[in-house]
Amino acid sequence: MGLDPASLRLDEQLLHFMDQLEILEEKRQKLNMLIEEGWFNISKARYSMGNKQVSALQYASEMEPLVLVHASLSEKGEAAFRCKRINDKAEELKQSDTVETIGPTEGGLRRRVNITKTDIKEEKDTSRDQCEKETQFNSKSEKSSIKQDPLKWFGILVPQNLKQAQAAFKEVITLSAEISTMQSAIVKTRLEMKTQMKDKEKIVSELKE
Amino acid sequence: MAGRGKLIAVIGDEDTCTGFLLGGIGELNKNRKPNFLVVEKDTSITEIEETFKSFLARNDIGIILINQFIAEMIRHAIDAHMQSIPAVLEIPSKEHPYDASKDSILRRAKGMFSAEDFR
Repeated sequence: MGLDPASLRLDEQLLHFMDQLEILEEKRQKLNMLIEEGWFNISKARYSMGNKQVSALQYASEMEPLVLVHASLSEKGEAAFRCKRINDKAEELKQSDTVETIGPTEGGLRRRVNITKTDIKEEKDTSRDQCEKETQFNSKSEKSSIKQDPLKWFGILVPQNLKQAQAAFKEVITLSAEISTMQSAIVKTRLEMKTQMKDKEKIVSELKE
Repeated sequence: MAGRGKLIAVIGDEDTCTGFLLGGIGELNKNRKPNFLVVEKDTSITEIEETFKSFLARNDIGIILINQFIAEMIRHAIDAHMQSIPAVLEIPSKEHPYDASKDSILRRAKGMFSAEDFR
């Protein structure tokens, strides 16, 4: 005796649902493991830096996100999340830049031995230009300081453990986007199964009548 | 804002927030509102709930990460959230390991096989 197409579809969907749950479980385990690793490393860093270090009091007063998620809704209503690091772009640009800048970035002034009046005038002009350049440079560095590595909130020479904690949490962030996508897919599959089950029940009741 | 991408928000204990901020998710917007809440012993449930609701209302947040023991305190608010964006993700905390049976998403999935669901 063959199964009706509605039952077959429902069976397929159930298997798909189980597969999704299995993948979610695996990802969850990995996430939990990484978070634990991160905490352990934070605790180790705190142990070597001091009891009151690596705390909320040390967070920067200005923060800019270094990672963003791109969320998109499919036609079915499933949400897909994709992590994007802002630093990656800057690193790519740095790597693609073929011109190397060697030596100091700021040009220094040299005093000549024979100074005439015209030279002094020129020197004044150049010093004014340099002042303007310096202010521009400062504003640029201020902007970049907002997007600084959060590691620097806790000190300049931080222990290796804190860097390891950061690496673990970076991975957790990517994984959490994947889990969110998976969760959305599971909820969607569940809803589809529910509607299909109701349809099947209708067909069965009609056949009985 | 459309092309910029969304933020990840965190509601958690100090170490969880510190970890995620180290990962680079932290933001203080123009109104100096953060996308994280450090829950301490004296943090009230209403404060947590209000923060959670404000994160839900913000359209620049894509994912909300919340410690499971904190999620338990505001379970009604989490269960009431049915939209897929922002996604709510329950994570373990130092003192409370992750329990899948408490997770709102997995509870919904589990409901698929309960007697009530077949009615």
